[in-house]
Amino acid sequence: MQEILRKKKTEYRYVGKPVRRVDGYKKVTGRAVYTVDVDLPGMLHGKILRSPHPHAIIKSIDTSKAERLPGVKAIITGKDTEGVRFGFVETPHMPADMPPLAEDRVRYVGEAVAAVAATSEKVAVKAINLIEVEYEPLKAVFHPEEAMKPEAPAIHDVIYPSGRSFWQEWGVERDSTPQKVERNIASTLKLEIGDVEEGFGNADHVKEGRFETNVTAHGALEPHGAVARYSEGRLDVWLSHMGPYMKRYWLARTMGLPESHVRVRPAFVGGAFGGKIDLFDYEYIASHLSRLTGRPVKIVLTRREVFQATRLRHPMIFYIKTGVKKDGRITAMDIKAIDDTGAYRGTGPVVVYLAHAFSIPIYRIPNLRYTGYAVYTNNPVRVAMRGHGAPQARFAVEQQIDEIAEEAGLDPYEIRMINARERGDVLPNGDVLNSCGLKEALTRAVEDGKFLQKYGKHRGKGRGVGIGLTSMFSGAQFYPFGATGVVLLHDDGGATVFTGAIEFGQGSDTMMCQIVAEELGIDMERVSILSGDSELCPIALDNWLSGGTFVNGRAVQLAAIDARNKLFEYAAELLGVSRDELQAEDNVIYSVDDPSKRIPHEKVVKYAIHRNRGQQIVGVGHATPVEGAYWYPSLTTGKGRFTGAYSFSATFAEVEVDFETGVVKVVRIINAHDCGYPINPVLVEGQAEGQGYMGMGQVLFEEVIEEKGTILNPNFLDYLMPTSIDVPEMKTIHIETHDPNGPFGGKEVGEGVIAGVVSAIANAIYDATGVRFRKLPILPSDILDALEGRE
Amino acid sequence: MKEHSVKIVVNGERHHLTVGSEMTLLEVLRDRLGLKGVKEGCSKGECGACTVLVDGRPVNSCLLLAVEADGKEIITIEGVERDGQLNPIQEEFIEHGAVQCGFCTPGMIISAKYLIENNPDPSEEEIREAISGNLCRCTGYVRIISAIKSAVDKYSMR
Repeated sequence: MQEILRKKKTEYRYVGKPVRRVDGYKKVTGRAVYTVDVDLPGMLHGKILRSPHPHAIIKSIDTSKAERLPGVKAIITGKDTEGVRFGFVETPHMPADMPPLAEDRVRYVGEAVAAVAATSEKVAVKAINLIEVEYEPLKAVFHPEEAMKPEAPAIHDVIYPSGRSFWQEWGVERDSTPQKVERNIASTLKLEIGDVEEGFGNADHVKEGRFETNVTAHGALEPHGAVARYSEGRLDVWLSHMGPYMKRYWLARTMGLPESHVRVRPAFVGGAFGGKIDLFDYEYIASHLSRLTGRPVKIVLTRREVFQATRLRHPMIFYIKTGVKKDGRITAMDIKAIDDTGAYRGTGPVVVYLAHAFSIPIYRIPNLRYTGYAVYTNNPVRVAMRGHGAPQARFAVEQQIDEIAEEAGLDPYEIRMINARERGDVLPNGDVLNSCGLKEALTRAVEDGKFLQKYGKHRGKGRGVGIGLTSMFSGAQFYPFGATGVVLLHDDGGATVFTGAIEFGQGSDTMMCQIVAEELGIDMERVSILSGDSELCPIALDNWLSGGTFVNGRAVQLAAIDARNKLFEYAAELLGVSRDELQAEDNVIYSVDDPSKRIPHEKVVKYAIHRNRGQQIVGVGHATPVEGAYWYPSLTTGKGRFTGAYSFSATFAEVEVDFETGVVKVVRIINAHDCGYPINPVLVEGQAEGQGYMGMGQVLFEEVIEEKGTILNPNFLDYLMPTSIDVPEMKTIHIETHDPNGPFGGKEVGEGVIAGVVSAIANAIYDATGVRFRKLPILPSDILDALEGRE
Repeated sequence: MKEHSVKIVVNGERHHLTVGSEMTLLEVLRDRLGLKGVKEGCSKGECGACTVLVDGRPVNSCLLLAVEADGKEIITIEGVERDGQLNPIQEEFIEHGAVQCGFCTPGMIISAKYLIENNPDPSEEEIREAISGNLCRCTGYVRIISAIKSAVDKYSMR
């Protein structure tokens, strides 16, 4: 197969260029249709009654008054959905634990208890207010370290499998077993590399600390919503989501339908950031109500519901001990991580793994012990949020690295350069760093920010600089374990690309069109895309797996190459030349040996169709995150290959701290990022800037305040996200490393950067104040308290 | 519930509607007139996604009752493009990469339009101020600000 384009990099017409978004016009004119905009004929509106208690027995539910309300078409409770379970995590030993509607017991404030379908949203709201529920409150627990104590109330007793597990479906022939939950621990990860005690024995400096991170909210502007239409045994859904395949799997399983009878329709998605991944109660409920009533059902959550009843970022506690030699080499690290995963498992076992997995590609640590617990509490459920464990872990580790550097008399740059990984490194799980621009990124960020000239110069005087490193995966072996791309050539020479990858703002559609136009040598205007339709598109990694470019983009690239190869076969025949000498550019195929021999794409495609039994050219390509690995790494031992490429980034941050008010102003953020090769620099920079902004919010403003499981600030007025006024100067430096397995060398950019930003700002605040803050967020009151010597 | 007769002009078209007392302008625009480009992000005037111009001034349409809009002229994102020509703000939003998920974009463009048409030479601070009521969770605002700056230049050349 002719894989490599003859063009040199500088000759690319679309790839590597700041091409305009293909969905830009629709979005600036209000024509982009999001799930919340979908209205269908005869559509009913659904509303969900949610628990006001963090932990209670449901004694009775009386729906009779609501049933009598005109316009109410259906009411369901846990009795109607008994035994139905779903969850982000389901392994043979960790059964899915979440019911769509509570059965005998509620475990968090916001848990669905009953649902109504009615002719209008107003009637539905009235109806849920007429439902009477009698609760018997139970003792609840809200802190993971409290929850792990033997005397803590048990939130789950035994969790029973609700069928063959997800992994059994996919070939792990282990029977599913019930899980007896001990001390509210949802999962435990334990691993040891080398000999940690010996490592600490060899250290000249040892530092220990406890770090704690905050609950934050994704804050996607489009509220969560679903439109479901069940008809003739088939389910059509419009969802605000991050990939159709996890949704389809669980909808099919919970509704008892074959997967091919569930169609996730494409719709624009108004932001996600990790918060729209797994199946939600309202998505199942809308589907169930549609089946019950025979009419389409739409449910759009209120902003309060989005906060309280969907998902939030995992708050984590880290106990970390690091040992280094005099020269700065890390000899050992011992990390204990405790995650408050909320009332259901959410992504708890995964975030505990990822806090480790996103750290291990950064420093060479010969002796490492990592113990992680995901712990049930009666708080709202947690899921992935941009970086999923990385910002939490980097906040802790990057600060401790600075602390120990100071003790060893090294600067933060030096100690990182001494320990940072390089290309060719093999990680303990077998992953290989085929590309790694970590040291270059660090050096470029430090130089560009004049870090060494500034660091420590104003220590404790209100101005400071900091750096932080981070890494991120580029797709993992999780369902559907890879991607197929399809490129169809039309008889005018244009092309349509089909991919299950979805566009939720990151620019996936644009990148795909760039790749196809480049590989086929046609104008980008001639390429159209159909993405994210689970029925019409070939399978792809859900985009929350961060393999959008590396895996899905690669599959589409190979599909375009396949189409081009077929095109060249016919062109060679028509031109009377060898196909190996052909090149495609500007909608023309020509011989590089004799450029006078040329033919437009259009003629070749027409020839293929007219003279070859209607053979329309269809290119197909496949890609997988890690060749030869078929499972996700173990969530209890961390063993197993994880991803095919890591991206890296280094952040420089500069802050000013007002000692009168405690207010921190971020002056500048510089992100030097290795995404392999920026297929679209503007999109890459947009991702880095968005994460700069979000990371700053996480350090300085953002905190979901939970009072006995009830969120006190479930709105954008009280949950403070930075506005246009707060945003600092931001700069992105591209570090090109050309991963050999990525399309045009490209890999991940969507969620790694934020972790570097969080840690760089935290380190900069130390430089400015001389005080180390080990808990997020770092609020003005915390700074004033610390400066005045209060706890 | 009391019903009211309301006359409004939306994007140059006259509408005569009967609305309930509690109905918001946003509901009228989205549900009655099908102008789904006007986005609803919070229903409480916190996010700015539903911003429209009411008699030339930017308003969170979720906070305005439909009866209060009686007799007023309203411009939504659907009315910004004229005769198939994008407004310079729309052009520059695309050009600068100021659009990601796009959900804040309609409200953001309306706020920017008000700014530029009332302050032909805004400073960066004035630009930041003008869109401070429009939340964007994707971009970090940097490219939105630069897009508006470019649109200012284009407006001045018109």
